Amino acid sequence: MDESSGGPDDGSRALRAALAGVAAFALGYLLPGTLQLPTLAYDPLRHLFSLQRTLTGVQMRYFSDLLTATSASLITFAIAWRFHWIKRLNRLKQAQGFSVAAGVALSLVALDVAYYLSRLLAAV
Amino acid sequence: MSVIFESAARPLLLAHAVFAFAALFASTHHAAHAVLSALGRVQERELRRFGWIAPACLVAQALLGLALYPTYRVRVRAPDFDRLAPAVAQLFDFKEHLAALALALVLAAAFAGARQRRDQPKPQRWTLATLSVGGAAMLWTATIIGLYVTARHPV
Repeated sequence: MDESSGGPDDGSRALRAALAGVAAFALGYLLPGTLQLPTLAYDPLRHLFSLQRTLTGVQMRYFSDLLTATSASLITFAIAWRFHWIKRLNRLKQAQGFSVAAGVALSLVALDVAYYLSRLLAAV
Repeated sequence: MSVIFESAARPLLLAHAVFAFAALFASTHHAAHAVLSALGRVQERELRRFGWIAPACLVAQALLGLALYPTYRVRVRAPDFDRLAPAVAQLFDFKEHLAALALALVLAAAFAGARQRRDQPKPQRWTLATLSVGGAAMLWTATIIGLYVTARHPV
């Protein structure tokens, strides 16, 4: 059955899109900080947003990191939902395709956790 | 100097905590039902129910946390943690990162879980369970760290 029809395979389609969204979120959350890409920094004392590579004083980048990751996640989710690209990449062996997609998404999340945990342990 | 939402910081912190616990328990329920589903039990109704409760509570909690963050940065972290307890500042940062990743996992698991069918292949059910359990585990860790940091120095 065609998955766009909302039939029984709708669950597979939703899971594929969700995994793609998680993978993109994990990448979009980690990369701007580690690569020191310019980001939108908020200064809570001056109530100003500015584009910065590194932060000074009480400036914060959490909003910007979340926004970047959420945007990347939503765009990837929408593409995966619309075009079923993970399935097309793995059309021959769908079960394996799911395993690979899940493995990639969860590995990227684990990579994020390991990176932030290493920063925490370095500070202790 | 004023900080945005500082005058409402304590009510915001209370609401943040209430929604955090609601999100935590709803996500834990979702994870338990996802595992039961992977084990072959019919859980469609439960996954649909917690598939909207958990994300709704989590998004509300996250928005309240974002509103509180500037006050924490200026009134708690800068004068106290950065100078006297840098490890606690890093611990709080770690909690924020875990919460962000948990948000992605729980939203993804909720979306996919609400669309799970009775005849879904078992590997896909286990994938959903892994997403949901991972999100719940991260929320538990973030909540415990959040309680510890708040006990040390609330806003």
